[in-house]
Amino acid sequence: MTGSPLEFALLLLWGTVVGLDLVSVPQGLLARPLVAASIAGWLVGDPVAGMRVGALLELFALDVLPVGASRYPEYGPAAVGAALLAAHQPWSVGVGAGGSLGLLMAAVGGWSLQRLRKANARLVQANAAALTTGMPATIRRLQWMGLRRDALRALVVTGASLALALAGRAWLPVADVPGRVLTAALVGAGVAAALTGAWRSAGHGRRLRWLGAGVLAGALAGLLL
Amino acid sequence: MKGRTRALARLLAVQGVWSYERMLGIGMGYAAEPLLHDLQSIDPARHAEATIRSAEFFNSHPYLAGLAVGAASRAEYDGVPGEQIRRFRTALCGPLGALGDQVFWAGLVPGIMAFALVAIALGVGGSGLLVAIVGYNAIRLAVTVWGLRTGLAAGLQVGTAISASWLPRVASRIGAPAGFLVGAALALIAAWFLVPLGSAGFGVAAITAMLGLALARWGGTKFTSLRFGLMTVGLTLVWMRFAPWP
Repeated sequence: MTGSPLEFALLLLWGTVVGLDLVSVPQGLLARPLVAASIAGWLVGDPVAGMRVGALLELFALDVLPVGASRYPEYGPAAVGAALLAAHQPWSVGVGAGGSLGLLMAAVGGWSLQRLRKANARLVQANAAALTTGMPATIRRLQWMGLRRDALRALVVTGASLALALAGRAWLPVADVPGRVLTAALVGAGVAAALTGAWRSAGHGRRLRWLGAGVLAGALAGLLL
Repeated sequence: MKGRTRALARLLAVQGVWSYERMLGIGMGYAAEPLLHDLQSIDPARHAEATIRSAEFFNSHPYLAGLAVGAASRAEYDGVPGEQIRRFRTALCGPLGALGDQVFWAGLVPGIMAFALVAIALGVGGSGLLVAIVGYNAIRLAVTVWGLRTGLAAGLQVGTAISASWLPRVASRIGAPAGFLVGAALALIAAWFLVPLGSAGFGVAAITAMLGLALARWGGTKFTSLRFGLMTVGLTLVWMRFAPWP
């Protein structure tokens, strides 16, 4: 990590792309925390740290089902800040600290999405009369305004995430033992989150049996490796 | 009908101005615009009506929205009465939402991300993640292309075309492999994190996980995974502040 303005600008740009990907465009899994944090880690010269903190946040994201008008956290821009905080730290400490920041900013990102959706509703209402004229230009204008607003939202959330990460780097490294405890506790919370989500999706049928078989197979492979 | 490529590109941003009022409506209108363009020279009044209809309320899975965009555009060219097109669009919302959520949000996405986590835990690292993302996006693009083509070809018969397609079959079969992959990923990634932290780390994680599962089971809807995660951070930070360190 050089801490250069270019590096910060690249992280801001990546966080904005990631924020747009979640809902607006192109919805290609770039907003998954594992992807967002791995690329962010690579941008700051520590892809492994990015991957580790991304894997932790991915456990929480596996519990999210982003259907329809449901409210959900936004892990993408949060994961970019988390990767910056975790980079070039001992992983047992960095993952817990980065994960903590990631969870906090995921809540902020989710809240900002709700604000954007309400603002979009007001925008559409304000243009309701124009939409009844059948002019394609009105639809185009609204579409691009929506995209610009989401990009701005993602930029601000990423900026806040990166600012907190930079502030947090001054606080790190915490003592080794509490850092490890925080990491272990968050891994436990993440496993519970992912298992809850998987269980909910599985219901009581065939998928639940396959989920159980997967856990057993994974545990066996983990013991053998 | 021209403008298919532009419509396809615009379908990638179909949720660009998602709102509680029209949901995907404006994005649908934006995607349909290139397809409806030729109607302007054939019947300007019909074009204006079709444009209004295309941006009205619509909700479905975004990847499958092309089925509705294509089918409704075809119906506009076929001269189907406007009210019938409205009812048709409304009727498509439920099935396209349910099928898409089942195939993608509850099936392919967790399955693909679990595959990436397994690859990382097994030491494959970034290349496994790259394969997962490239593969997923190839499928996502192919589905969008298929949706638009099928909608344009079938028009109002798109429901029959969907029933006869791969979509319902995949929806009923994807759950099992996705569940298996998620289960395997959970165990492997937990081991990947916790084995280096030793038995104390494993103990802390096990207690936290059991507490999280208990709250998810009996704590009601207030205890989302994010809230539990933040609570875990808060309690650990309090413990770190007051615990006696040597």
